[in-house]
Amino acid sequence: MSMISNPLLETKNVGKTFGGVIALKDVSFSVSEGEILGLIGPNGAGKTTLFHVIAGKEQPTSGTIEFRGRGITALRPDQRCHLGVARTFQIPQPFSQMTVFENVMVALHFGAGVHARSLEDEATDILSRVGLNRWASEESVSLPLGARKKLELARALATRPTLLLLDEVMGGLRPNEITEIMETIRQVRASGVTIIMIEHVMRAVMGLADRIIVLHHGELIAEGSPAEITRNEAVIEAYLGGSAHVSA
Amino acid sequence: MTTPENQKPLNNLFILIALAVVFCLVPLVTQEAYFLHICILALLFGALASSWNLINGYAGIFTFGHQAFFGLGAYGSALMSMRLGLSPWLTMWAAGLMSAALGLVISLPVLRIRSIPHIAIVTLAFAEIVRIVCSNLTDFTRGELGLWGIPPFTSFLLPLVGDVTFDAAHKVAYFYVVILLWLLIVGATYWILRSRFGFGLRAIRDSQIAAESLGVHLTRYKTLVFGFSSFLAGILGAFYAHYVLILTPSSALGIDIMIQIVAMTLIGGIGRLLGPTIGAFILTLGLEWLRGFGEYRMLIYGVLLVLIVMFLPKGLASMRLGFLRRQTTGKIPT
Ligand SMILES: Nc1ncnc2c1ncn2[C@@H]1O[C@H](COP(=O)(O)OP(=O)(O)O)[C@@H](O)[C@H]1O
Ligand SMILES: [Mg+2]
Repeated sequence: MSMISNPLLETKNVGKTFGGVIALKDVSFSVSEGEILGLIGPNGAGKTTLFHVIAGKEQPTSGTIEFRGRGITALRPDQRCHLGVARTFQIPQPFSQMTVFENVMVALHFGAGVHARSLEDEATDILSRVGLNRWASEESVSLPLGARKKLELARALATRPTLLLLDEVMGGLRPNEITEIMETIRQVRASGVTIIMIEHVMRAVMGLADRIIVLHHGELIAEGSPAEITRNEAVIEAYLGGSAHVSA
Repeated sequence: MTTPENQKPLNNLFILIALAVVFCLVPLVTQEAYFLHICILALLFGALASSWNLINGYAGIFTFGHQAFFGLGAYGSALMSMRLGLSPWLTMWAAGLMSAALGLVISLPVLRIRSIPHIAIVTLAFAEIVRIVCSNLTDFTRGELGLWGIPPFTSFLLPLVGDVTFDAAHKVAYFYVVILLWLLIVGATYWILRSRFGFGLRAIRDSQIAAESLGVHLTRYKTLVFGFSSFLAGILGAFYAHYVLILTPSSALGIDIMIQIVAMTLIGGIGRLLGPTIGAFILTLGLEWLRGFGEYRMLIYGVLLVLIVMFLPKGLASMRLGFLRRQTTGKIPT
């Protein structure tokens, strides 16, 4: 179904090697506008590398990436951000000598490309959407892991993206926080943002994703609805006894 | 925009202007040549370390070749005024532009490097190349013999004040010029920090990969700050040339200058507006004051440096700010 409508993002035969390590091999997939796509796979499968390549932090060794039908493989990360591609980092990268509030202001100033007084209201609003408002004036270096993950999400939202790449934003959150962030992600999608989420918290990815793709040793091994994926033999095999995780 | 540096913006600006006023009053109290000489050097190095603080303290790029731009400004302005017969008041700006151009050219390869030790070593190697070239271009620079016969700043008539003359016996005029340069450079830093540009630099300092993913054009920001900082170093080098009136490759381009800059910035407070100036005064005046201790002077000096860096890793400028912060915590920035 999603293949027929115009894809927002499309990767074509993307490969990436680091020296001898093959991190991605011939990865082709697409995301339609308004979709939530889950990206799962065991550790070291190449999920984060795929995000790096889509967002421009790494250049693919082969293949191309198209965003809204336009080749973006040659663009810098900041240019892709301005086109509407936002991402979070699995290992949070806060601007540690700035407050939480200022971190979000950086994204509003440089990512969304607008500079007006009203930005401060928008920053406050984004912080309350991810549940960080009481941390606003703290220096981000003092944040616990869960709050750092939320700050990653807040900054990415502040760039006013059309495509949001979430790299394990639930990691380190408590169960009730996971429920809150799931609700936030639903609202973000409802506002028209397309989302690709890498997630190990199966409750979250199974509950949110319309479709899931599975990466294993750098290759796509399965694609389907959450229900199909939990029954997929190759996926269960890939997780090797971790099938409990997949079906959770 | 809210930044920790300008939560107390008036505070910083007020201190800056108050300091400039105090400096301006010094010659009314004493015009003792040696004392003024020490103050001139302290302000010169305070301004030079401030220009380096822009790259290192705010953009987080640890360069170790700032002396190249200082020395190029010094030799450039000296040679232009000697060979072309131009006024040092003109050549100092031209020399600043030369340093900026060199800074922009070398920034392109250097700033692609993200590893801090590699940037430090590459910029140091570059500065050493500039020094060696300078000492071998004997026809032009007289090499290790030193370039002498550099004209001092041209004297002029100032309404109400009278003749302003620049020669070895008249340090007062030099003193006022260096105050002005210092104020311009630290003032520019203050202004940059409050601007969108400074906000981008601080983002780059804290995380380059996050900054670029959030829309900051890394190369543009890093190149601009590198070029601007080189420009400031070049102007200060030119002032130095027309003040000391003799240049050698090691006095204007030596690694000692860089070590001084780093020590002053660390002691005063890296990434603090007035940190480099505080460090420059402590080191310059402190070394003079320690003369009373004779041969123990360098030993005491070394121990003090170690103690300050160990117990005040954020520099002396952090003491006052740390104290004030206690009263401002809990306030939500608006
Ligand atoms: N910068 C790098 N240099 C070398 N190898 C890398 C680099 N980044 C990732 N890899 C390797 O690529 C593979 C995929 O890593 P990654 O994309 O982080 O996996 P995942 O996010 O699925 O856990 C791993 O084998 C990892 O060691
Ligand atoms: Mg990963």
